[in-house]
Amino acid sequence: MKLLRHLAVFAFAAGAAISHAATIGYIYVGPEKDYGYNTSMDVGRKFVEKSIPGTKTLHVENIPETAEVEKVMERMIKQGGASIIFATSYGYLDYAIALGKKYPKVAFLHAGGLKIGDNVGTYWANSDDAMYLAGMAAGAVSKSGKLGFIAAFPIPQVVRSINAFTLGAQAMNPNATTTVVWTGGWLQPPKEAEATNSLADAGIDVIGEQVDSPMTIAQTAEKRGIYMVGKDVDVSKLAPKAVLTGASWNWGPTMLKLTKEIQAGKWKPSHVRGDLKDGTVVLDPFGPAVPEGVRKTVLAKKDDILKDKFVVWSGPMTGQDGKAILPAGTRMPMEQLESMNFFVKGVVGTVQ
Amino acid sequence: MADTLLQGLPVSALRSAAPLLLVLLGECLTQRVGRINLGVEGQMLVGAVAGYGVTALSGQPWLGMAAGAAAGALLSAVYALLTVAARADQFASGLAVLMLGYGVSAYAGSGLVGLRIEGFALGAGGTTPTLWLAVALVPLIGLWLYGTRTGLVWRSVGESPAAARAAGITPWKVIVAGITAGGVLSGLGGAALSIDHTRTWAEGMTAGRGLIAVGLVIVARWNPWLTLPAALLFGLAEALSLRLQAAGSAVPAHLLHTLPYLASLAVFAVTCARLKGGGGPEALRAVFAR
Repeated sequence: MKLLRHLAVFAFAAGAAISHAATIGYIYVGPEKDYGYNTSMDVGRKFVEKSIPGTKTLHVENIPETAEVEKVMERMIKQGGASIIFATSYGYLDYAIALGKKYPKVAFLHAGGLKIGDNVGTYWANSDDAMYLAGMAAGAVSKSGKLGFIAAFPIPQVVRSINAFTLGAQAMNPNATTTVVWTGGWLQPPKEAEATNSLADAGIDVIGEQVDSPMTIAQTAEKRGIYMVGKDVDVSKLAPKAVLTGASWNWGPTMLKLTKEIQAGKWKPSHVRGDLKDGTVVLDPFGPAVPEGVRKTVLAKKDDILKDKFVVWSGPMTGQDGKAILPAGTRMPMEQLESMNFFVKGVVGTVQ
Repeated sequence: MADTLLQGLPVSALRSAAPLLLVLLGECLTQRVGRINLGVEGQMLVGAVAGYGVTALSGQPWLGMAAGAAAGALLSAVYALLTVAARADQFASGLAVLMLGYGVSAYAGSGLVGLRIEGFALGAGGTTPTLWLAVALVPLIGLWLYGTRTGLVWRSVGESPAAARAAGITPWKVIVAGITAGGVLSGLGGAALSIDHTRTWAEGMTAGRGLIAVGLVIVARWNPWLTLPAALLFGLAEALSLRLQAAGSAVPAHLLHTLPYLASLAVFAVTCARLKGGGGPEALRAVFAR
């Protein structure tokens, strides 16, 4: 079935590729309509296609982080005529690096990796600021001071979200803790539902999440009468009572900028990073459960972040085990940030 | 930690088990008449998408459940056509139905993502109607299969279609009925998953639960009564793998996620060692003899 869909995409593309306009390939790890991570990437794709007349995009969804990625990218290049590839999932990086060597004229852009090649660059946006702010709302609204976090895999980007969320919550309630539940998959609605239920049963009243789609967790939280903080896509209309706020993506401008640079021959592979400041990350509107005073405090902190008066990843910072991670007055270097494999104090769970 | 772990654990296990239990009951009946339908995963998916769609449109979760059952039955008719009318290989046919169900549900569901449904209200202790439906069907089907004449007819077809024919039974009709029952129940299982358990439609959301049900039938010894403990075993292990984390356990999550499979495998190994291949319908074994 998946094969058929690929063939259809490529058959269409092969006929249309012989033109001067660039063809851009997008590969997603999950369904493009997951109402979450992959949707956010797909919104970016559509933005690029709309913004540069004559540009064609190919997209293939549900490609696992296995050697299949390499095959799909190769087909996009050879049959689809793609000259730019957006490899949007974390585990795609090594395949992109390998293919980059094989196809030096194709530009590869990986979402969030820490390696680059002669023609392989990365793009990402740091959600940490928005997650910190959302964590503030969570910490303020929580009555028990016990927060939860449902996450797919312990990769640095997720670990950072959990830590930022916790630090934000502790800014409002120093005793707040975050209990982490791993689901072991990017899209596992039944496990996500049950994880939400488990956390609710354990007396946790606000849940943060980083899985591919926030839908299940938002709606289960709503059903259980607890709160949640979204990620990747604003889900407030699905769970109007439960959603406090969230950290959403807006990939379009970054993808457009990179594409234009590549097409103009001005691109040099690097680690491009966006954030709250440049609008790649958005703090979602507040839900009705967030009191006016809390909104003001959170927005004031947002202002501090935008003006560089406050940096989430600055010392003093203490690890889960009580040992110091960062001395006071220092900022965490990017490499440490993007390879984060520890929890801060107050997080309950294991990074494994 | 023990308190938070146990708080709500039985309901939690039942919630995880209920959709699987419905599918397991269906596959149990299908295998009882001598067919192993690998397509239940696909039937579950069309059940999930149809149930979700109809619930979203009508606002009636029970109507959604009925639609899910109908969709499952419809797809199982494809399997019946292939294996009974066309006499195609039943494993290949099952895989074809699985992929068809995956594709059809993905296509039909693409417009449903992000719709909001109300679903069922929460009952006592966090239970929902689909839990009770699944549990209630166990004795109903168990009593029917072992206590009624038609139940006996189904079992006799599963043991020996030739002997059943000699006794004046038309085996293919019974086989089609068994496949359809499997379709109805797997469709219901899928609908319970989307309408009740997750209130979400996501492509491929069953994540192998249908195929797990095919395997769990063996653990349940093809006995409807034993589907309940078999599904609960899986549900309990899955609930525990998440609950241990929610209770702050330090056991690595990777290890915990293997728990449902390890538990099923362990029971499978133990029961097989005790019962030396017995318990399954005889006609089913002919499948392996080919």
